[in-house]
Amino acid sequence: MAAVSGSSDGGSETRLVDRCIDAAARGPATVDAWRRQRRSLERLPGQLADALLQRLAARRLLSPSLLEVFRHSVEEIDLSGNIAVDAEWLAYLGSFRYLRVLKLADCKNVNNSAVWALSGMSTLKELVLSRCSRISDAGIKHIVSIDSLEKLHLSETGLTDNGVTLISALQNLDLLDLGGIHMTDKTLRSLQVLTRLEHLDIWGSEITNEGASVLKAFTRLSFLNVSWTHVTRLPPLPNLQHLNMSNCTIHSIRDGDSEVNVPLEKFTVCAASFGNIFEVFSSIQGSSLLYLDMSGCSLSNLHIFEKMKHIEHLDLSFSRITDAAIQHVANIGMNLRHLSLKNTGITSQAPCILAGTVPNLSSLSLAYTEIDDSALAYISMMPSLRVIDLSHTSIKGFTCVEVNSEKIPSMPPLEHLMYLESLNLEDTALSDEVIPPLASFRAIKYLYLKSDFLSDPALHALSSASNLTHLGFCGNILSDSGLLQFVPPAKLRVLDLSGCWILTGDAVSTFCKHHPVIEVTHELWQELQPNSGGTSQVHKSRQLPKAKTEAVNRQAGPSRLSGIFFVDERIKYSREELMELQHLTELNSVMHGVHLPPELWRMG
Amino acid sequence: MAAPAPAQHREAEEEAEEMAGVVKLISAEGFEFFVDKKAAMVSNTLRNMLTSPGGFAETREGEVRFPEISTAILEKICQYFYWSLHYSSGKETAEFPIEPEITLELMMAANYLDT
Repeated sequence: MAAVSGSSDGGSETRLVDRCIDAAARGPATVDAWRRQRRSLERLPGQLADALLQRLAARRLLSPSLLEVFRHSVEEIDLSGNIAVDAEWLAYLGSFRYLRVLKLADCKNVNNSAVWALSGMSTLKELVLSRCSRISDAGIKHIVSIDSLEKLHLSETGLTDNGVTLISALQNLDLLDLGGIHMTDKTLRSLQVLTRLEHLDIWGSEITNEGASVLKAFTRLSFLNVSWTHVTRLPPLPNLQHLNMSNCTIHSIRDGDSEVNVPLEKFTVCAASFGNIFEVFSSIQGSSLLYLDMSGCSLSNLHIFEKMKHIEHLDLSFSRITDAAIQHVANIGMNLRHLSLKNTGITSQAPCILAGTVPNLSSLSLAYTEIDDSALAYISMMPSLRVIDLSHTSIKGFTCVEVNSEKIPSMPPLEHLMYLESLNLEDTALSDEVIPPLASFRAIKYLYLKSDFLSDPALHALSSASNLTHLGFCGNILSDSGLLQFVPPAKLRVLDLSGCWILTGDAVSTFCKHHPVIEVTHELWQELQPNSGGTSQVHKSRQLPKAKTEAVNRQAGPSRLSGIFFVDERIKYSREELMELQHLTELNSVMHGVHLPPELWRMG
Repeated sequence: MAAPAPAQHREAEEEAEEMAGVVKLISAEGFEFFVDKKAAMVSNTLRNMLTSPGGFAETREGEVRFPEISTAILEKICQYFYWSLHYSSGKETAEFPIEPEITLELMMAANYLDT
């Protein structure tokens, strides 16, 4: 049942089940009210127990002794990133009767002796110890006694060849993640007995082609990650669906005489180089490929796409392609949903070629390219677009037919895009007069503006953007009076003013008081409320270009705030306080952080 | 606010049959709670029982037994039905009070009733 979800929005649609979980995990006192109800705890259905435990963990209410009361009910636990977890916690977890899934990724205090408590657990199917750096060969000895394990994640632990060899005892494994472990060909050979493997992750290992030839023993393999290895040739793997060979030199993904094409759905080859690229792509079943990430590959022509008519996700960023290659993208445009041409050699000619060929494209990145305003008219002919990234381009917001002739605004055509939700125009040369048309884009929710020429009128023009929830207005010339006169659109929830260096803390603070529902980000505002446990703000302040930070500093100097102003957040808090802030952050993000749906994140 | 108090009736079966749109919920101890059908529909489990044509005996008789749910918890559940009806419609919000002592039992009942 979908009864219990990890998050609760606190709105009127919250279900009673979630309200109960929330009430039970409100604080130490409420926990004490039920923790001795042994009979109820034993009857608790697994998915309720899991959700309650998760909520307690998120609120830092969990302790080893409280874990004990869930011994008979909990089936899945995720304590990833919880640095409190140590041998004492695992001693209790080892006694859980029905535990199927235990996730302890990034638990820095889980060491070899701590996992001894897990040895012999008979119900455990999945164990995640990724990035537990204190786990090494000695710890694996305990883990290989858990015969029931089907999924084991050990990436970036301290394992060596000796430890990896022991894993061959776990014959039920269908997933094995050994990423970042310096395993050799010989050791991989010792794992050949794991014939049930469907998912194998050995990125960053010492594997060469010799070791890769062993992979054909894994006939069920559907996921393989050999990125950052010396592998150049793969044996035929008839069921392979996901393949990651980033940073490899690729000569063949179907070595030998086999005629059967690989049914790949997802092919990730970031920064890879190719021997004969046509040969590699001709061994993929053209109709199966849905996802292709070739960012950072140096591609000259794209004839390889010919058969790939079903591709939905295509990433060609940092690939040095030029307008000449875009026709090949247009040929396979029918099913494209996501296209990134970020940081390539294209010009406005590229959108011109693509217009009319990509009816389903919902997300497009042209950031860091030479495109200018003439591209906007063509982009407006891609009817399904929801997310557009035009940051760091030559867009100005108007076109001039000739020098000194009349300026023609270039934004209005985008109004035709009735689904457009997110538009990134950061680091373009927009000026105030081109902003008003943006406010009339009906569906726009996320808008990012950053330009040396934007000032008060630009912000005011956005008052009428009726669906806007998230506005980035960073690094612009916004004055105190400009901010205070701004009437925010009714649905605005997040206003990022980072780097608006003329603003004073007083003005931001006054604005926040008038608009308590809006989460405002600004360097000076966060100084004023050190206890807010702000989410992303700490990181933002570090990203500020140094010169700007100094400007802010000078600005703050003469004001009353000078005594409490710190640029470096780390100086202000002790280590313990920072740890607490970190927890608060997680709690916030669970409880009431404003979540962007993934497709609306700024495209990286 | 609509009166959440679900009247506790005994010996009222004949009456219940005439009252269209009322359903009787019976706790483990045998206490009977009469609630509007509209309120009972807040529970997806009850909604399925009451709307599936001819399938459940509960549909015909207009009564549902909960041998696993105690009287105190069932009363709280009924309160929630009415609270939910009232607050899910408008912009008005209020906290639905849940005493820490009953969170586990209420959680299980709510889970069973899918609400």
